[in-house]
Amino acid sequence: MMNSTTASASTLSTEDISVWFGERQVLQDINLVFPANQVTALIGPSGCGKSTFLRTLNRMHELIPSAGLAGRVLLDGQDIYDSSVDAVDVRIKVGMVFQKPNPFPTMSIRENILSGLKLSGRKITDADDLVETSLRRASIWNEVKDRLGDQALSLSGGQQQRLCIARSLAMNPEVLLMDEPCSALDPGSTRRIEETIQELSASMTIVIVTHNMQQAQRVSDQTAFFLADENTPGVVVEFGRTEDLFNTPIDPRTNDYVNGHFG
Amino acid sequence: MTSMNRKPWAQSSFNFKVQLALVSTIPVAIGALFVILGGFDFSIGLIGVFLPIQVIVVGVFGWLKAKKRGLGDALLIFFTIFFSTLVLVLLLSVLGSVIFEGFKALTPHFIYENNRYVGTTTSLEYGGVGHAILGTILIVLLTTVAAVPLGIAMAVYLTQSQSKMRGVVRTVTQSLAGLPSVVAGLFILAVMQFTHLERSGLTGALALFPLMLPTVARVAEESLRLVPADLRMAALALGAPNHKAFFQVILPAAKSGILTALLLGLARIVGETAPLILTTNMNNTTNLNPFIGPMASLPTYVYNFLGSSYSSSQQRAWGAALVLLIFVGILFGAARILGRKKSLKTSKKAK
Repeated sequence: MMNSTTASASTLSTEDISVWFGERQVLQDINLVFPANQVTALIGPSGCGKSTFLRTLNRMHELIPSAGLAGRVLLDGQDIYDSSVDAVDVRIKVGMVFQKPNPFPTMSIRENILSGLKLSGRKITDADDLVETSLRRASIWNEVKDRLGDQALSLSGGQQQRLCIARSLAMNPEVLLMDEPCSALDPGSTRRIEETIQELSASMTIVIVTHNMQQAQRVSDQTAFFLADENTPGVVVEFGRTEDLFNTPIDPRTNDYVNGHFG
Repeated sequence: MTSMNRKPWAQSSFNFKVQLALVSTIPVAIGALFVILGGFDFSIGLIGVFLPIQVIVVGVFGWLKAKKRGLGDALLIFFTIFFSTLVLVLLLSVLGSVIFEGFKALTPHFIYENNRYVGTTTSLEYGGVGHAILGTILIVLLTTVAAVPLGIAMAVYLTQSQSKMRGVVRTVTQSLAGLPSVVAGLFILAVMQFTHLERSGLTGALALFPLMLPTVARVAEESLRLVPADLRMAALALGAPNHKAFFQVILPAAKSGILTALLLGLARIVGETAPLILTTNMNNTTNLNPFIGPMASLPTYVYNFLGSSYSSSQQRAWGAALVLLIFVGILFGAARILGRKKSLKTSKKAK
């Protein structure tokens, strides 16, 4: 049921997702649909809960001790929070790239790529091919092909982030979640990662949190604008095609935000 | 155009150097004059003559350079140097006397022979600490086999779990670290009398156990805590079960720190005397069975022979102390080298 081996993009959707940390509610009734092979950007000011929302999509949210949740997250119609579903299986299908590059420091570049399969206890057939394919898909193959045995930390920050993307890709995820993947990178690395995102959307569904309006416009097909007023949980103010949301926003708050009037 | 690599902030004028040289030599010279020519006692010369003159000279020098600020700086610098030198001299003299006295007894046969036919007056040509070295190794090994896995397990519990009991466990561990070693020995002695256990290497190892455990647990906890939480998150996001994330990602990242924990734990117990005197007694012959019969160890050997008034016995004690010191030195050296490897890795990261 949750164990298809063929790689294909999945549709992800949320139904009335609300999130708490302890007694404090941080998100209220989020209903979004992420169609297969589309890139969705989540934008909004800091602290509006978009990263938290992203982490509910692959069950990383529950690792925070005080976390609470209501609502459903459907991956091809199956609720990933259903008691019959194992969080580990969800995370294998829904990959994640973090804000800060976090390659495994004790492993070489090659071992980092293969680490996901090893860690999730799956068999590795044709490791060389998998390493090359994953690194190529993350557009970093040419830079590292002669030094696959080097420590991952010997790479620059931008290269480390692309290595982390490649590490996620080696798992052949159906959905890839990216939490501000370019916030710590220079413009060159950012551009390459954006190109990578566009290429990847052919084979997977992508959700990306970004603070960069231009980036959202460049890479995404649809955009959701999150907003949290003081002491109230975050909500989705507006959700739609990226060009509509940026050019002809319906809600005045969206208009203010995308034009840089606040946030 | 080539430019010289300099440190312009560290340049000082010739005049300044001369003044500094005068400031730092005149008080010493006056103090030395009083001691050598005036027949003053050394400590009186140091504290009564040198110290006040030096403080005044340094203070005046600092005042002339930069008034109040210079005075404060100069005094701070002087007292820092004075007291660190004092401590260093004390430490080196302890080390020096052990090496100097111990070296006289140190011969090849002193390392490998035991004390079977040795009495308090036997000359140094006979007997040695071989049995005590073996005894120390066996006892310490037994303790290590029990304390290190448990200590690491405690560190894992303290860093990886969310349990509410962590605070209690940590507090108990910390108070265990402050346990006087003789109390640990007394406890095992009481247990021995209660259960009619005979003195053996094992009872000695048991007495050392509560001393080693908190050291290992605490250092291992620190090194596991230093592993960034990001790495665990990255592993879990790749679909790793908790145990694999720990064994394949977190533990390797903390490896050098955990090795340091092991070595510091060893160094903590290898020189312990009181618990061993209470629980293993002394033995002049080689006993390789830690479960039956008393066992010799280096610290108890030192204790036994140092109590004798005969010079050959005292020499034996110094010799054994030197062997013990070398033991500890090797352990600390290894810990430092392993620690350095870790920092090399992080500097590579900076590059």
